[in-house]
Amino acid sequence: MSEPEDLELEALQRQLDDAFETTRPRAGFEDELWTRMQAHRPAGTRLRDAWLGLVQGIREVPAVPMAAVAAVLVVVLGAGALVYSGLGRGGGAASTAAGGAESAAQPGAAVSSLGAFGRLPSPALAAGATRGPSSAQPGAAPAADYAGLVALKWTGKLVLNMGTAPVFRYQEPSTNAADQFATSLGAILVSRPAGFLGSYQTTDLSVRVRGTIQSPVSEPTFIILPIASVGAIDAAGGPADLALVFLAEHSLAPSWQYTSDAVSAGDVSKVTLYRQFGVTGYGFAYLVDGTGQRYGLEVDLKGGRPTAATGPLPLSLDSAPYAIITADEAVRSALASAPAVAGSGVPTATLTTAELVYSLAVAGDHSFYEPSILFSGTFTVNGTTYVKRVLVPAVNPSQRSS
Amino acid sequence: MVADRQPFEDLYRAYLGRIYAYVRAQVGSSADAEDITAQVFMNAYQAYARFEARHTTPAAWLFRIARNATLDHFRAHGRRERLRRTIEHQPVAEEDPSGVAEERIQYRALLGRVAQLPERQRDAISLRHSGLSFEEVGALLKCSEDAAKMLYHRAVKALKEAVERESV
Repeated sequence: MSEPEDLELEALQRQLDDAFETTRPRAGFEDELWTRMQAHRPAGTRLRDAWLGLVQGIREVPAVPMAAVAAVLVVVLGAGALVYSGLGRGGGAASTAAGGAESAAQPGAAVSSLGAFGRLPSPALAAGATRGPSSAQPGAAPAADYAGLVALKWTGKLVLNMGTAPVFRYQEPSTNAADQFATSLGAILVSRPAGFLGSYQTTDLSVRVRGTIQSPVSEPTFIILPIASVGAIDAAGGPADLALVFLAEHSLAPSWQYTSDAVSAGDVSKVTLYRQFGVTGYGFAYLVDGTGQRYGLEVDLKGGRPTAATGPLPLSLDSAPYAIITADEAVRSALASAPAVAGSGVPTATLTTAELVYSLAVAGDHSFYEPSILFSGTFTVNGTTYVKRVLVPAVNPSQRSS
Repeated sequence: MVADRQPFEDLYRAYLGRIYAYVRAQVGSSADAEDITAQVFMNAYQAYARFEARHTTPAAWLFRIARNATLDHFRAHGRRERLRRTIEHQPVAEEDPSGVAEERIQYRALLGRVAQLPERQRDAISLRHSGLSFEEVGALLKCSEDAAKMLYHRAVKALKEAVERESV
């Protein structure tokens, strides 16, 4: 090789050194990604970090959320006014289906083979909100929890005819995905505030998008607030119809199956589209949060004008069938979740209903909507009737990592 | 022994920029590079409990994850687009205007040229200039240290020729 060519190659190598040395992500990306990672890290990692911090004494680590380690969590909901309607029954009003009620698959989900996602984390259940889904008044204060021990009795009937149920998986969205969603609404990026993938604006709306949250568990979500008073929606019908028109006008109508419910107090209404997942041999199962409450997309209205909308960020889902436990095993798990109590004075909750539901299990860059069995019943203490719910992961324990 | 391990945050802070630059040289778009970099560190965070320093260096471990994530990205999205760009010799598009200010413009074209090299040559240059030794580059590319050196030098020559063709 000639000397001039050597020199040229060396010069090119120096340029490459400089190019790689000076190519860095945009300002703020480092902290933004770290924040996301902290939000998504599994409980075990938090525990190990906390232990390392203790040993090394050099690093502060957030406390380990107690709820994150529970495999089966009993949620006791106090209800001065008994919250009942919608539990284990049909729920709200009109139902629409993107994939058709006869379709057992989640619309758009790519289907994989049995157990294709490997061992699954158990749904991240956490005690928290106490509102009932169909009787909550907008702005009403939540009822108190019952904190004492409760024994359990099962008098209902649970039938699970299918041996498998689908698990749905999504990949954690990037800022790019959030930007694309905002762009589809005609919104432009304003900033990337801490805890959010982005904050955006249209001429009349403010849009924020955040990623998955581990505690309380929540999937990637959009939040829409009007910047100024948005005009009343020009449509006939009740609050649910107005909400659907508003969503359709902004290309936010869900592509998933749902039932809708509207709760009004004066001129204020809250419309909720409860999300459902299709299960062959069962029908549609509701998505529930860590307290067993159904949830989905919410639109707040005041005087016929939308004041806020919150819902899951549209994401593509993969799906894979998983073997699930039998009805008997589910009942045994539910009853075993109650502490062994001896002696008198301990109230007994009679679980009377059970249904297949879906709940979110967060696991790093991928999270899962997993089937669970939700048991519900009531008990009374000092004249106050409480609702008790027990959530049992339905995926066979051999396919669960926790 | 867990306590012997460097806290992951130190690793993250030390290598984020280098991993990003490596990925950026592969994909030619800052938005894709951010997505893949995020994926790399999410995966690494989950797998860190299984990382064993006696078997490999943190750098080699992270770059292995980055390489796999980049290949996954190509498999899932960009192979056809990359091929089209290579055939047409188009400069790589920069979609993110804010990214322009944060990257040195004079080096973007060079990294774009790197991105158009054949896969192993591209990897050899990117890994080497991300600070890995030839031994580590060889381990990642499943060849000997000497073969990695040879591959790298061929890659630099190919890059030089590509730059010269471009300037003609």
